[in-house]
Order: sequence, then structure tokens, then C-alpha cells
Amino acid sequence: MMQPMKTLEATIFEAVGLRKEYDGGQVQALRGVDFRIAKGESVAIIGPSGCGKTTLLQMLGALDKPSSGGLFYCGESLPDLPDLSAYRAGEIGFIFQSFHLLPTFTALENIQIPMFGADLPASDRTAQAMTLLQLVGLEHRAKHFPAKMSGGERQRIAIARSLANGPSVLLADEPTGNLDSENARIILDLLVRLHEQQGMTLVLVTHDMTIARRASRILRMKDGRIVFDGNPGTTDSIP
Amino acid sequence: MTFLSIVFRGLTRRPVRTGLTLVGISIGIAAVVALVGISRGFERSWETGLKARGTDIVVSKMGSSLAPKPFSDVVVGRIQAIPNVAAVSSQFVELLSIESSELMMLSGRQWEGYAWQNLKLLSGRLPLTDREMAVVLGRTAAEVLNKKPGDPLQIETIELTVVGIVDGGAVVENGSAILSLPVLQEIMGEQGRVNVIDVRVVPGLSEADLKEVCSEIIRLAPDVTAVAASEHLSNSQSFRMVKAMSWGTSLLAVLVGVLGVMNTMLMTVFERKQEISVLLALGWRPGLIVRMILLESALLGFLGGIAGVMIGVGGIRILQNTAAIRGLLEPDLRAGLLLTSVAIAVIVGVVSGLYPAWRSSRITPALALQS
Repeated sequence: MMQPMKTLEATIFEAVGLRKEYDGGQVQALRGVDFRIAKGESVAIIGPSGCGKTTLLQMLGALDKPSSGGLFYCGESLPDLPDLSAYRAGEIGFIFQSFHLLPTFTALENIQIPMFGADLPASDRTAQAMTLLQLVGLEHRAKHFPAKMSGGERQRIAIARSLANGPSVLLADEPTGNLDSENARIILDLLVRLHEQQGMTLVLVTHDMTIARRASRILRMKDGRIVFDGNPGTTDSIP
Repeated sequence: MTFLSIVFRGLTRRPVRTGLTLVGISIGIAAVVALVGISRGFERSWETGLKARGTDIVVSKMGSSLAPKPFSDVVVGRIQAIPNVAAVSSQFVELLSIESSELMMLSGRQWEGYAWQNLKLLSGRLPLTDREMAVVLGRTAAEVLNKKPGDPLQIETIELTVVGIVDGGAVVENGSAILSLPVLQEIMGEQGRVNVIDVRVVPGLSEADLKEVCSEIIRLAPDVTAVAASEHLSNSQSFRMVKAMSWGTSLLAVLVGVLGVMNTMLMTVFERKQEISVLLALGWRPGLIVRMILLESALLGFLGGIAGVMIGVGGIRILQNTAAIRGLLEPDLRAGLLLTSVAIAVIVGVVSGLYPAWRSSRITPALALQS
């Protein structure tokens, strides 16, 4: 089994020669990716469509397993963790481009959905969901259904949902991709605020350089490889 | 919000499809309630009728028709002479269309036989002689035919007079037209022939001795059967056929329900593939997804079962009041049958949900990130 490099204590993710292939190797989504992400870091993964950034996010969220190479979470091989559901439920908060709220549930109820993996009394779930609604400034929309909310509001509900189990890492896949610029700014401010206030690691996938510059570090991908790894101040050198 | 409310909301997402599936299950369950309830009810009311007459052994020649086949009445005297036989009452029983009733039981009873004794006179009188062209009607039969004492009643080509209205203590008795045996034999052209002999044994006879009497009857009259009253109906080929058909039809209806629920749940799983993958991405275990699908399926079955029981009971009530069979039907709708029907519906739901639930457990969380 591949071993992590001699890691710093603060490393949360480490990828060593990470590969992902589909269709028996005909499609190579990741072609040997190496990186290290520190705890509390905010990282933007950018690159053109099909470069492998969503595949990489899938690997980090344990939604899929690598074909080869090593991927480590806090020094442990992530694909070999004994309970991947528990990892997704407790360590990871997912934010999707299309929000993926359940249409027949109110805002307050949608936030409670991830909590059903844990053994929480209904009253605690409701109270916790209400606190999260307040955190994203939508407590007045608690009983509204997603269809009656704007895109920005839906994404704020989705962000509140991602925080339901107090994750260490937020993984956001094009979180502003379906929003107008004003709502995109609000969502980005919210994510940055959450990252700063709660010390969570933030990994976001985007194709928008303006958004990527809000992160403390940028990984640029091309053809399944990382072609740039640096801070936003050095983006002029991005290939 | 509880896990059950998540399950319930799953069903409300497609109300029309859920509604149509519920209709499918409820029709199946209604068929179970109606058909099994009717056949059980018939069995019970027949037994009640025999008990009301105080009959211990029924001698008949059951064929494949609803009414037993006629045989010579010379065996009556022979049976009377068997030890431990206390009384014998022969009958000619026939099902006929009489005036406004499309199907009514006619019971020609041996004059002065004990089968007359359980009839409680409500109005009028009983026939005065075995040759009087008179008939007494059970109270339901009188209602169905709209007759009172003194009215004429046409049976086949013969006109008789209704002389009394009686309560026979059982639905079968109350739905019958009762007359003296010789009169019915004459109407049917079956002089000297009967098709049922009710036998009373001496009080306190053991079951083994009762069987001994039955064997003796069969020895004396080999072309008839003699069985304890409680087993009479279950020995009837026609009744066994009716019972098998009612269960068969019910099972077929239930099978249609199973396919309906399975189809709905499979559609649900396919349509909600991405939703399920999102739930997995949010940390739900595959087991929780399986539980959700199975519970949705079971809930569909339960709701369909409740609706089916209501439709079945309502349908039977309507059927009971239709002119064609009024007074002949006493369905057995005890709580046991109704609860069993709902339980069958829930089992149908769970069984139908197994394959869709398995399919749902195969969904990968990676789908969550596909737009």
C-alpha cells in the first residue's frame, strides 16, 4: 500500500500519484496527481471542463475510489477508511452547483437531512437546523419550500445543510455556477466567512478566476494533472 | 421531522402515481376481503343453520352443482333404526328463481320432522297438513319477495299461499321459502326422493360414536355421504371449489398489486437516483436508503390495505342489498379477516419493495456531482 510522504501535523489531505480511470483505462480523469492540503486552508481548484477537478472532489469526498495512487486524510488512507459513510457524514460538508435540495421538504427540514445518520432526538435536530438557518441569515424562510426561494437562498440553505454535522472540510462544486453575480458574491462571502470563523478547510471547484482568487491557494488542473499550485498573488504565472 | 415523515413525503412527490398504485393494491385487498369474507360467511351461516335446527349429522349426495343430488327416501327409515339416532328429518332443498328473487333457497321439510321446530313464527301460521299448498317465508325472504301472510306465491308453475313469516335463527333459514316435503316433491316432480337428511343423535354422544353412526349410515346407503354437521360444508366439492376460486382470484388480484407496487417503487428509485446519491454524499448509509425505500413500499401497502378493506366492506354491503342475492349473503367480516387483509397488503408492499430497495443500494454517491 502506498504510504503518505512524511507529512506535517497540520496536513488534512495528501495525494500521492493519484489516478482515476474509467472504461477500463480508456478515459483517464486523473493522471498522477500530487498535492497536500493543510488543515484550515482554503483551496480553489480551477481548470477547463473535463480537466478532472470534479473527479478530484469526488475522491476527497469519498464518493468514488481512486484507480491507483494514494489519497490520505489526516494520515489515513482515505479509500481504506472502515466507514466511508461516517467519514462523509461527520468530516465532510458538500455544497453542489445545483443545490440538490429535496423539493418536498422545507428549508428547515432540508438542513436536517444529513443529521439522520446520527442518533439525534428530533427536537435537537430542529434546534440545530434553526441555528444554522440563522447563520446563513434565512431564519425567516424556515418553513418555505425550495421552489419558493431564489437561487441564492437555495444555495445558502444548501450551505447550512453542509454544516449540519459540524464537518472539518467543506467541499464545494461550482457553488456559484447557477447564480447571478450578486448572489454569487453573497455566497462567496458566506463561504469565506465560515472558513475564517469556524476554521474549516475549504476546497472549492470553480472555473471563475475571480472566485478562485478569494481562496488562499489555487490548484490549476489540465488534462488530469495539476499544472499550477500557488497562492492567488502569483496567478500571473498560471499556465 | 422524523424518518417516517421523510418516507411519507417520498410518496407525496408523485401523488397521481401513488394514487393509482394505491387503487391497484386496494382493489386486490378488496377482492380478498369480499371473496374470502363471502365464502367464510357462507360456511359460517350454513353451520349456524344446521346448529339452529339441532342437526348433528348431514346425509347427502353432494355433486358438483350447488344443491345436492336427490336420492330415494327409503333410506330415511333405515337411518331412523340405527342405534344412537334420536331423530331424522329429511328435506328436499333447491335453489330457484322465485318471482322477484333471482335466487332463493326452497326447503321442503319432512312433515312433522324436527326441522320445523326451530322456526319461530313472526306472523301467520305454519302449514296445517303435509298436503296444504302453503309456504312459510323466512323474514328476509318475505322482505325480498315483498310478501305477507295471505299473499299468493308462484313457484315454478304452481301457485301457493304464503301462510306465515318465520325467524329461523340463521341467515340461510331466514332467506328461505319453507314448505312441506311432499308439496315441494310434487312441484319439482321428484316424488319419493329427498336430497338432504338431517340426523340428530342421542345427547352426549362421543365423537367416536358419532363417526360410528356416520359409518353405519354409509353402510346402509352406500351412494350417500354422512358427515358431522361441522364438516358438511368442507366436504362439499362445490363449496371447496368456490373457496379455492375465491382464494385464487384474491391471490391473482394481490399479485397484480405486487407488480403495481414494484413498478412504482422501481420508477421511484430510477427517478430519484441523483437524490439518493446526494443523500449518500451527505452521509446516509446505504442501509438507511434501503430502509427508506422498504418503508415507502410498506406504507403504500398499508394505505392500500386500509383503502382495500374499506372498499371490500363497502362493496359487500352494497352487494348484500342487491335484489339478486339479498338474504343469501352473510359475509364473515370479523376483525381477524380485516387485519389479515391489511397485513397481506403490508407484506405485499415489503416484498414488492425488496428489488427496488436492492437497486437503490447499488447507486453510487459519485452521481451527486453529475449535473
